[in-house]
Amino acid sequence: MDWLEQELKSALARKEPSPGFSARVSTAARRPRIVAWPRWMAAAAAVILIAGGAAGYRQYQGMVAKEKVMLAMRIASGKLNRIQEQVMQVSR
Amino acid sequence: MRRFTLVAVCATALYAQQFKFNLDHLAAKASDTVDLSLNGSTLQFAAKFFSGKDPDEAKVKKLISSIEGIYIKSFEFKKDGSWSPADLDSVRNQLRAPEWSRIVGVKGGEGAENAEVYLRNEKGKVTGVAILYSEPRELTVVNIMGPIDLEQLAALSGHFGVPKVKLPK
Repeated sequence: MDWLEQELKSALARKEPSPGFSARVSTAARRPRIVAWPRWMAAAAAVILIAGGAAGYRQYQGMVAKEKVMLAMRIASGKLNRIQEQVMQVSR
Repeated sequence: MRRFTLVAVCATALYAQQFKFNLDHLAAKASDTVDLSLNGSTLQFAAKFFSGKDPDEAKVKKLISSIEGIYIKSFEFKKDGSWSPADLDSVRNQLRAPEWSRIVGVKGGEGAENAEVYLRNEKGKVTGVAILYSEPRELTVVNIMGPIDLEQLAALSGHFGVPKVKLPK
């Protein structure tokens, strides 16, 4: 047996684990993994959500205003047309 | 001080164009009520949502670009006599010369419709329009502030969801 073989044998020899090793492994396996998100990422997500919400709300307000304008135009031009018809009837 | 005076003059001019409706008491009797109050900033904001490419939307966009306000109260009733001539008089009395002039007045017979169109003129330019329209079961008052082309407004009928009104005779 040469020195290399002896070195390998001692390096790969079976060794008993330190006391409490199995308990420590099973405890670590049971502990839930907590993924720590960077704070800037949470802040960026909040900014994106708020900006998206504000843009959506602005779009909604714009469409409501547009509908109101259309209703106003519908009433005003409808009445004007009716008056024009009446004037034309009278002048005939 | 000069700025304050300018703001005060502008505010007075706008107030003079916009008359008081005094018709809120009719809302309780009405079966249908439309109460629209669109000031200049609301109109300019709404104009951004009208497409400039669509020809019909572009017409409305152009029309409202110079308007300073649209105020409408319209009531529909289930029975005759729900509104009184005094209601209309309270509006009509504010539309006095020299600012306001009546350009159209159509008076129907008993139970028919009555209509009046008033224009507000300032230095030879139209700066406001008032439309008073009444039927036995309907009362509508329209006040448009700012320069407006009535022909353009009337031409909207039949376009862009603005129906060409043909009431039964």
